[in-house]
Amino acid sequence: MIGFIKKDLAMIKSNFKLMGILLVVYVAMGLLGEMDISFILPFMSVMIMISTFSYDHYNNWDAYSITLPNGRKNSVKAKYIATIFMILFVAFITLLMAFLISYARTKTINYEQILVTMLGTIFGTLLVLTFMYPIIYKFGVEKARIGIFLIVFGVVILGGFLSRYVDLSVIGKALSFLENYWFILLIIISVMMVYGSYKISAKIFSKKEF
Amino acid sequence: MENVLEVKNLSKKYDNFALKNISFSLPEGMIMGFIGENGAGKTTTIKAILDIIKSYSGEIKIFGLDNRTCDKKIKEDIGVVLDDMFFPEILTPHDINSAMQGIYKNWDSKLFYNYLIEFSLLSNKPIKTFSKGMRKKLEIITALAHHPKLLLLDEPTSGLDPVARAEVLEIFQSVLEKENCSILLSSHITADLEHIADYITFINDGEILLAKTTNELLEKYGIVKCTEKEFQTIEKKDYLKYRKLKYAYEVLVEDKNAFKAKYDIAIVDKITLDDLMVIMIKGEEE
Repeated sequence: MIGFIKKDLAMIKSNFKLMGILLVVYVAMGLLGEMDISFILPFMSVMIMISTFSYDHYNNWDAYSITLPNGRKNSVKAKYIATIFMILFVAFITLLMAFLISYARTKTINYEQILVTMLGTIFGTLLVLTFMYPIIYKFGVEKARIGIFLIVFGVVILGGFLSRYVDLSVIGKALSFLENYWFILLIIISVMMVYGSYKISAKIFSKKEF
Repeated sequence: MENVLEVKNLSKKYDNFALKNISFSLPEGMIMGFIGENGAGKTTTIKAILDIIKSYSGEIKIFGLDNRTCDKKIKEDIGVVLDDMFFPEILTPHDINSAMQGIYKNWDSKLFYNYLIEFSLLSNKPIKTFSKGMRKKLEIITALAHHPKLLLLDEPTSGLDPVARAEVLEIFQSVLEKENCSILLSSHITADLEHIADYITFINDGEILLAKTTNELLEKYGIVKCTEKEFQTIEKKDYLKYRKLKYAYEVLVEDKNAFKAKYDIAIVDKITLDDLMVIMIKGEEE
């Protein structure tokens, strides 16, 4: 499986320059006290990984991957692992930069706020991965883009509806007992949703014909 | 001699095409040429062997093992070249080597880089900068660099110029000698197969029309070229198919020497695989 991961990471190396530029922009904006764009880099890493699906599809890699040992299973697993690795690696770099920016500007580091922002970002990117990957494996990248647009659109509409007609503070109060466990809860939910997403994608790919 | 590949009663139905009870076997250390016109079912058969397509009926055994239940074990020892290009074109041969090291237990980097030098392919250039022929060479090199026991090659020489084709065919032959590898090779370029294939399996419209040794086909079969009057004298049991051309008849016979002994018709030529394909597909039986 290492080979499949190496192949996916090799495919995104041409994007490292773009990521470097984004990192510089992020640091510059942070030092100038402009808006916090730390969420962009991890999100970009997922988007870049999604672009590898296009290359795979365009070059018929998927059919070829099945001819390799354990190809049906490992190519899907590798895609998830490579993506998670990318998200965590980029998030870690961004986190370090955030600490440096915070220290450079105020001579103190607001660990809690930075960590909360970054964890929220990681959770958000994992959420994108969770929904996008099974849709991509089922329908391909092009249709998946429309799918994700519909999902986001639906979530926004639903959110708007709920905030207008439902008293969300009731839910907040009901879940207040979890306040001290949110960190663990976030990790458990993340692991569960990514694992579930992987199982669905693996099942879809195991039945695919090319 | 054991069979490395056995296909029994392979059937697969699509809306507008079907593989119908395909059966053939490839003995160890042999090259089988798999011929047929476009859309005859060559690629579909190879895809079924590789489990790229599913929901087919029949039995496929590779190295004596079921291709669906022993997938990993089998694929460690198979080298594959598919009809379409299959490496993401932003990768370099160096990336391919790095990835394959983590995929095949027997991956031989030294052999891979030797082949790259032999075929004049640069290891650090993205595949997108390669010509079609260079891409095909890279695919072939990758199929060979883990010392496979069986090569499944779907149109491996298409897009190559005659010199590159000759190089590739030489490599296939040398691999066969050194590694005791068996090869199933589908190709439109039947002249290549006449030189290297031990067996020819001919598929048309999803059915196997013919499966013989190449020697038997090229030495025993013949094409009779005759007038209509001469054709009328030939008994139905003495030919397989015939074609009516503008001024003459072409008749496919199974045993040209026996035919010559029986009939007084001057032109009985040796057959080429191209002739065979054309007359088997376009010809009539009676």
